[in-house]
Amino acid sequence: MNSFFKEYFDWTIFLCILVLAASGLLSIYSATYDAYEGRDFFRQLLWFGVGFISMITMLLLPLRWLQRNALRIFFASLSLLVLVLVAGKRVYGSQSWLGFGGLGIQPSEFVKISTMLALASFLSRSDVKATDLKDLVKTSALVALPIGLIMLQPDFGTSLTFLAMFIPVLYWAGASKFLIIIIIAPAFVAAASIFGTTPFLIVLVLLGIGLYLLRQENPFFATLVFGVNVVIGFFVQIVYDKLPLYQQKRIATFLDPNNDPLGAGYNVIQAKVAIGSGGLWGKGFMRGTQTQLSFIPKQWTDFIFCVPGEEFGFLGGVVVLGVFAILLFHSVRLASIAKNRFGSLLAIGFTSLFAFHVFVNIGMSVGLMPVIGIPLPFLSYGGSSLVSYMMVAGLLMNVYANRKEY
Amino acid sequence: MIDEFGSAERRLVIRIVLLAGFLILFVRLFQLQYINAELYGKEAEENSIRNVPKVAIRGYVYDRKGKLLIDNRPSYTVMLTPVDFDKRQLPLLSTILSMTEESVLDRIKRGRKYNAFIPTRIKRDISFAELSMLEEHKDKLYGVEIQMESKRFYPTTARGSHLFGYAKEISDAQLEKQKSDYQPGDIIGSTGIEAKYEQFLRGVKGFEFISQNAKGQIIGNFDNGKHDIPPIDGLDLQLSIDGDVQALAESLMADKRGAVVAIDPRNGGIIALVSKPDYDLSLLSGTTPPDIWRALNNDEGIPLYNRATLTRYPPGSTFKMLLALTALDSKIIDENWTITCTGAYRYGNKVFKCEHVHGKVNVVDAIHRSCNVFFYQLMLKVGLDAWSDMGRKFGFGSQTKVDITEENSGLMPDRNYYDRVHGKGKWTQGYLISLGIGQGEVGVTPLQMANYAALLANKGKFYQPHAVNSIINKRTKQVERVPVDLRQISLSDKSWELVREGMRRVVMEAGGTGRAAFVPGIEVAGKTGTAQNPHGKSHAWFMGFAPFEDPKIAICVMIENVGYGGAFAAPLAGLCMEEYLYGEIIRYGKQPVPPIPNPPDEESVATNGR
Repeated sequence: MNSFFKEYFDWTIFLCILVLAASGLLSIYSATYDAYEGRDFFRQLLWFGVGFISMITMLLLPLRWLQRNALRIFFASLSLLVLVLVAGKRVYGSQSWLGFGGLGIQPSEFVKISTMLALASFLSRSDVKATDLKDLVKTSALVALPIGLIMLQPDFGTSLTFLAMFIPVLYWAGASKFLIIIIIAPAFVAAASIFGTTPFLIVLVLLGIGLYLLRQENPFFATLVFGVNVVIGFFVQIVYDKLPLYQQKRIATFLDPNNDPLGAGYNVIQAKVAIGSGGLWGKGFMRGTQTQLSFIPKQWTDFIFCVPGEEFGFLGGVVVLGVFAILLFHSVRLASIAKNRFGSLLAIGFTSLFAFHVFVNIGMSVGLMPVIGIPLPFLSYGGSSLVSYMMVAGLLMNVYANRKEY
Repeated sequence: MIDEFGSAERRLVIRIVLLAGFLILFVRLFQLQYINAELYGKEAEENSIRNVPKVAIRGYVYDRKGKLLIDNRPSYTVMLTPVDFDKRQLPLLSTILSMTEESVLDRIKRGRKYNAFIPTRIKRDISFAELSMLEEHKDKLYGVEIQMESKRFYPTTARGSHLFGYAKEISDAQLEKQKSDYQPGDIIGSTGIEAKYEQFLRGVKGFEFISQNAKGQIIGNFDNGKHDIPPIDGLDLQLSIDGDVQALAESLMADKRGAVVAIDPRNGGIIALVSKPDYDLSLLSGTTPPDIWRALNNDEGIPLYNRATLTRYPPGSTFKMLLALTALDSKIIDENWTITCTGAYRYGNKVFKCEHVHGKVNVVDAIHRSCNVFFYQLMLKVGLDAWSDMGRKFGFGSQTKVDITEENSGLMPDRNYYDRVHGKGKWTQGYLISLGIGQGEVGVTPLQMANYAALLANKGKFYQPHAVNSIINKRTKQVERVPVDLRQISLSDKSWELVREGMRRVVMEAGGTGRAAFVPGIEVAGKTGTAQNPHGKSHAWFMGFAPFEDPKIAICVMIENVGYGGAFAAPLAGLCMEEYLYGEIIRYGKQPVPPIPNPPDEESVATNGR
């Protein structure tokens, strides 16, 4: 029995999830106890139960069945997204919730999973090559569908997570590095050009080096791409200068919240104060003055990292970061050892998804990233995200159990 | 090409990217929590910012002559931030404010439900004694602040209870509907002008940023208030109301039940709108003590009920001009058509009475001396359809779309109505006879009647009645006129002239029933009405306009259960018109205006319209 478990049960992922979910529940308890007398904590605990069952279900589903039916599942989940647009509720200005009785679910969280299943299933087909232009177009169309529907809600942050998942998966599947650079370069160039001349020049130099190293694939094309990016940079600069001042301010604040200490930057600065004042060892459980007095309005959703950061200090922050690191590096290893491509692609896709959420969310709390409203997996308050991430964990454990199958 | 799926190089790149991400976050945490921990710790201690909403000052309201009718005065409000408040101090706080612990707790809970970190109102308009008690116990009452706010103040003797209306604290039901715009404890216009012009009067809330320490105590304004967003004052209103006429009408009506509505026939602007009994608005602005609210609701005079726009009484003889106009304009009769009044009219086996034996009368005489028999016969001649069509043209049976308050549409009976009530073919002409003199099913509001008087004054220019002329932005000095609908009722000049001549004689010539509505030195036209009703003595009506040749004011006075319109309503109308046209009451010199007496209680009035 013991050896059976060792062979088929992924203890690393299981334990990581338990530690993360537990710190999430404690943080929610601490942050909301005063104002809500534990109501949110118990609700989240209930969601954890639902998530646990979903995780075990995902672990037990046959991987091959998932691979075969991935496209069907994908399109079924898209119909939910359409339903949201037609009949959904508005929360914080975007229409992304479906109500069933008293509970609301956010289908976009689950569409992330179904999209990844479809991507992995498609790219693992023997007749599909990540280097083939036609196949690339088809893959892109697959991702463009949910992104388009989610942009209609509109939910910019969630759309970004699809791209964050898609690009590493393409790369892993063997797409040329040249292509990857072409896709990601314009975003960096555009952002850098708004920041100022020096960042713009640095990014251009880096891009130039990258393209030079990869030039043998097509030197003329490499030069063209470089030229296009330079033009994009200047164009963005010109458009930005022409924008009304308030819009410029809004963009600048988005890229660097420190610009507007009382508007959008208010949360970020308060979050930094909360984390910074935690010091090395923290102020103790339920003793965080910042989170308790709630200078951070949404601290139990997007800014949840402030709670362990303030109450358990550097130690608490490092433990949370460390557990995430173990989870992610373990998943990359899983992607490398999985014999079947479907499982391998799933592992790399979900790793990217987690990594993006962790870096952006924590990066936002410590003032390094723009404020994009995406949750911290397993910790943030919210049923849909907790359940969907536990499903992802179940799928990763499933990949582990089937790692030796071709 | 070689298959690079998950190649060693790609594994390495992905691991490097992950490692870089974690390293950056690790270094940043170290920087924040070790290197700069002291700085942030201090900031957490000293420099936490809280934003406090600042309420805008509601707009001021002026009358047509620029006199201030609704003013604001400063008042002190107790605010409490739920998360900061120490619940053990609840007994102390409720004692100081002389509120029950439950009601204070209820207010805290409601604020907490909305947002526990924003101060919520506990009590408005506290007394100086309460204020000094709070200051004395300041150290124990964390989270309790005093905020300067404004409350409504009415500087003139015009009470305007139903006209101005009151603005009070938002109710849960209202809050649910407009959650994004209001917070618990906000003031919202609830009746009258305050309600209808709420969006202009309320202004825009501002925010003040306040630095607090970790215990929630206020240290001062953040960054010297540089980032504060000041509230924007509400817009002011210029009314068509004449404050003096309004006040005079209110005082003349003081011991009566009824309504006065005066309209400028040149543009539809309401000059006065009074409903009595009324109530003191200053008792209702802000928070109303429950006992006062109960008393108002249980008062048998129903002071909260707006008689000027919500009653539906028969108009009595004031309605005769409508029938005369219908008959004249459709050429069913002309000025030479006469009947002989013998003091009564028999239809089938029923006898309809007249007040006098008028002998031979034409249409002008019939209005002048208010002959019922003439109109009984005329009603049968004109028929229901033409009459009710004309009534609808004059706005009866539908709302006037007045801009200040809710209104009753009244009832203008027509064929469909009779078919519905009595059954098709089951009603006869006999049912219609009393309609001709404004009795029976027909029901009107005093506002509709004033509008009817204005239409007779300006020969059919139907302006939407309105109390607000323009909206003034005092910062930009921008004045925007409130748009007013206008339509024309087209009738022949001859019809208008004959009917208006009859009305002139009512007040100006011997034998008229409305002589008491005279205004010294000015020709007045009008018509009295004495409407029977099942609730006691008749309702007294007078409607009319002045000056006859160039009308500047049209008025309707309705007094419940006093008797003759000519005796009780007409003199009041005359005084109001005099005040408006001269700017003072000239008939008494400098003497005060004596009240108009009510009839002795035992007098019984049994009469058909007069």
